[in-house]
Amino acid sequence: MSEEVKIIEKKQVPLGAVMLYGFPDVGLVGVIAASHLMSELKNLNEVAYMDSKLLPPLIVLHEGLPHSPIRIFGNDNVLLAVSETAIPADTIYPIMNALIDWGKSKNVKMMISLSGIPIQDRQDVQELKVFAAASNPEMLKMVQDKGIKILNEGYMVGPQAIVLQRCARMGVPAITLLAQCFLNYPDPEAAAEVLKELANITGIKVDISKLLEKGEEIRLKARDVMKRTQQEMTKMKKAQEYDIPLYVS
Amino acid sequence: MSTKRKRSIFDIIGEYLESLEEMAEQSEAMLIERPSWNQKACAFEPLRNIVVTPAEVVVTVDLPLTEENTIQVKPVEKNTLEISAKMKRKIRFEDFGITHYKGEFQTFHCQMRIPVQVNMDKMHFRFKKGILEIHLPRKREYTISIE
Repeated sequence: MSEEVKIIEKKQVPLGAVMLYGFPDVGLVGVIAASHLMSELKNLNEVAYMDSKLLPPLIVLHEGLPHSPIRIFGNDNVLLAVSETAIPADTIYPIMNALIDWGKSKNVKMMISLSGIPIQDRQDVQELKVFAAASNPEMLKMVQDKGIKILNEGYMVGPQAIVLQRCARMGVPAITLLAQCFLNYPDPEAAAEVLKELANITGIKVDISKLLEKGEEIRLKARDVMKRTQQEMTKMKKAQEYDIPLYVS
Repeated sequence: MSTKRKRSIFDIIGEYLESLEEMAEQSEAMLIERPSWNQKACAFEPLRNIVVTPAEVVVTVDLPLTEENTIQVKPVEKNTLEISAKMKRKIRFEDFGITHYKGEFQTFHCQMRIPVQVNMDKMHFRFKKGILEIHLPRKREYTISIE
């Protein structure tokens, strides 16, 4: 693990779990999905947190006590890495690398990033599609067999890009699930769609009805995190995901 | 052939510099950190976005929990829009678990500067899934003919 980024364990961490990532990105899909998982999977406890001078001098207070903005929650089957703040664009590599290496040291079965893919005129779309990309052909076949569409060609920018790239290199099975969503507005409906496909792949099933019922309140509450995430997305050139790649064989 | 009033290249450069100045002012305003709420006005500042296309400017504003019939979009000056809307119910800081601030909010309010010239009087908007979408046709006061 890098000296700049440390992951401090608070409890015994289960081996062989599925590791999920819910990080701020388009539509805050991953963060909203992770937050809903935490409220529905009652036995998820904080097992580790990140300590890094690369992050802004910031703590999150819950019930008067300080917490790292990047924490890992877990039970016997699931490890869920979440960030409660937008991650500075220039720190994404060391932060994600540290989390991936830590996950590998816990022999995780697979890593799954929950995120979104922005579409134009999102408010006119009734049924949101979920796309997937994977770290190896076997994982890609597995998600295809589950009926999930593959993101065939394109660019991916952000934490999920690093997860796929590093996991491919390290031989860790990994998937990114991307629900169609708003670019700059929190999108609880997209988070619900990504959770449906998570259940389809892993069997980690939660009731999404409350997420949809409270959608407007979530959008209101998520405005500030979305605003800061927008600023970081601009810095990391997120708009490159709209580009058409030049195929080089 | 265009029948519109022709302008000199100096007029065009002048307008371009003016728009650059306005954009710089807008960026400066965005850099100043301020809360997304105004306690005195009991208002939240909504998330919003501007897209400039060759034909129009499309402004979107995220207005969750809004009563559609209370939305007001008013042109202020020649290139600024003022948007306000009432929410279905009052939201307090306590609703977000925050106890060190006091206050309740029942409106959204913001002003937006439009970066290019538009026909404010031809503006139309729609509200769907809590997103206000405003369409402003662009003004074309001059054309440059290609020789």
